[in-house]
Amino acid sequence: MMMMISMESAVVKLPPSLRTIKLNPNRKNRILRTAPFASSASAPAPAPLSTDPQLGPGSLGHLTRPDFPILHQEVNGKRLVYLDNAATSQKPAAVVDALRNYYELYNSNVHRGIHYLSAKATDEYELARQKVSNFINASESREIVFTRNATEAINLVAYSWGLSNLKEGDEVILTIAEHHSAIVPWQFVAQKTGAVLKFVNLGEDEVPDVGKLREMISKRAKLVVVHHVSNVLASVLPIDQVVSWAHDVGAKVLVDACQSVPHMVVDVRSLDTDFLVASSHKMCGPTGIGFLYGKSELLSSMPPFLGGGEMIADVYLDHSTYAELPSKFEAGTPAIGEAIGLGTAIDYLSAIGMQKIHEYEVELANYLYDRLSSVPSVRVYGPKPSRSVTRAALCSFNVEDVHPTDIATFLDQQHGVAIRSGHHCAQPLHRYLGVNSSARASLHFYNTKEDVDDFIISLYDTINFFASFK
Amino acid sequence: MGSFTARTHLSTSPPSFFTNPPKINFMDAGPSHIHLNPRTPASKNPPISRFPLNPTSKNPIFPLSCVAIEHYNKVQPSSSVSEKLQRLGFEFRSLPAPIDRVRRLLKYAEILPPFDESWRVQENRVQGCATQVWLEAAMDGNGATRFRIDSDSEITKGFCSCLIWVLDGAAAEEVLSVRADDLVAMNVGLPSKGNSRVNAWNNVLMSMQRRTKVLVEERRTECVPSFICCNQTQVMIHERERELLVRRSF
Repeated sequence: MMMMISMESAVVKLPPSLRTIKLNPNRKNRILRTAPFASSASAPAPAPLSTDPQLGPGSLGHLTRPDFPILHQEVNGKRLVYLDNAATSQKPAAVVDALRNYYELYNSNVHRGIHYLSAKATDEYELARQKVSNFINASESREIVFTRNATEAINLVAYSWGLSNLKEGDEVILTIAEHHSAIVPWQFVAQKTGAVLKFVNLGEDEVPDVGKLREMISKRAKLVVVHHVSNVLASVLPIDQVVSWAHDVGAKVLVDACQSVPHMVVDVRSLDTDFLVASSHKMCGPTGIGFLYGKSELLSSMPPFLGGGEMIADVYLDHSTYAELPSKFEAGTPAIGEAIGLGTAIDYLSAIGMQKIHEYEVELANYLYDRLSSVPSVRVYGPKPSRSVTRAALCSFNVEDVHPTDIATFLDQQHGVAIRSGHHCAQPLHRYLGVNSSARASLHFYNTKEDVDDFIISLYDTINFFASFK
Repeated sequence: MGSFTARTHLSTSPPSFFTNPPKINFMDAGPSHIHLNPRTPASKNPPISRFPLNPTSKNPIFPLSCVAIEHYNKVQPSSSVSEKLQRLGFEFRSLPAPIDRVRRLLKYAEILPPFDESWRVQENRVQGCATQVWLEAAMDGNGATRFRIDSDSEITKGFCSCLIWVLDGAAAEEVLSVRADDLVAMNVGLPSKGNSRVNAWNNVLMSMQRRTKVLVEERRTECVPSFICCNQTQVMIHERERELLVRRSF
């Protein structure tokens, strides 16, 4: 049943920063960081001014930074340089305001209340669902199931579709670069059903071997679970081809789009994927909400995942009947405010334009890779960017003889630079690469070239510091 | 500034768990240098056996009494552990700049006692850390707990070095009475005191305490002669009488 959507809420408002081309007058257009060095080692040569106008003054990063209040603070006496976006993104003021407005003006439970507040909350919640649907070009909003996050969405597919459709000997094809959330639920299913998990290794350039992936998709394959963009390698898989190969043998495809939806145009109908998952908090939305996209005929055939209120039609003592899509998979009171916040985040991103965001981030990604891979004793994982190979705007790396946690600790303590260290929920990948952990710097459209410069200068200082103790 | 034993290449001979640890002093009030101070001489720490005690030994080394074990949770740390914690906290609080605390930790990492490769097994891995940490624990004849720790992160090694200094050779009840808050001053700027994976020292401390409880329980099991029935009261009375006998004999 199509709901009447309040058109006044659907008007897209441009972020304030994009209505003019003026820079924030309080912001310095610094090229080099001037933090004192911890040791006496020589400083790296200043990076040449980028000739790419996308990264210079007036870049997308410079224009959007004022919209993110959290970025304008100091950490340990230094300007915060936030480079941990693959873990979670920051939220524009519009999203924060949307959450506040919800709780201040119309917080109410959704779907069955008849009073004004409930009707308003229901309208906004379902409008958010429509926004997600439009954002990824789904056929209809009932193909969008709100979950707590992408992890829960994958578990939904595993327990609902997997347990009903997989049997002994069936194969689930994955890559060793998958996030734990895309691996572990299928281990549960494999244990219960006797299905077999098969993993594709990396090939040249430290990218999952697409040729081997194609070979592995045999008639025994019933499901292919792959990332769109790797949160460690920064590589991008040809999902449209993978889907084509899978469908040729009658297999379904589940795409983990956590690192792609926030950074580029993702069109589920163009990809023709059967399932796709993403998390709000990685795309400038609140935590606590994510979504599963599934083709309506698939979702309709799947049994419920969680049972309880909202997902039922009638409840008797000995059995119950279930609601239609998408409610069948949304048991209990949903994260209403958070869904509305996600809708606002989508408005914000759409106003900029995902293609524009992607183009800027590709340039920033190349700049980050070039600068980082030029630092002596640094090893960057994943493919080298080129005209035919696009990297996401993140670099996982290791420094010879220095633990990544030590690197991250010093960068934070001495320079206010926030990166991540560890296995990034990709232990099989790290094991394959022969390391226990790595450091990772990951960018988003509100990062600037100066952020990268500050990071690199700070990294030189960090490496020199630890070298002085050897 | 004195010298201290750097980490040596591990020999192929059986691990000498109780090599006399290097003489170090964490009680320096200022950040400028590190003094030496003698630790408890090795002669006061009888060699521990990791196998059950021989009850027919001429010099019986009786374990912690079963009664004492019941009270370990209520005992306050002795002045030695408590004093060390206070001094450690004072030392790190006197280093206001994070880089100075990192430097100090890296210095302490250099003097971490050697860790034998045979101890680097999965059972000794401290779970929950962002870095790899291995912990070997044992108990000597006097009921003192002995620890050796290693990590692949230099900062974590520094934390572990401090933990070793505080707790290696301490009585079980002292180890178990240390609270995470006692070590906050060592924390290199991290505001979280909770179960974050980043708080390696917190995870290591909890692991040291878990292993200590296991050692205490193992020792309690060993101290019950086979002819004693499962009557808890009789066991406790028996062990109390044995302890009194031992004390009178010395």
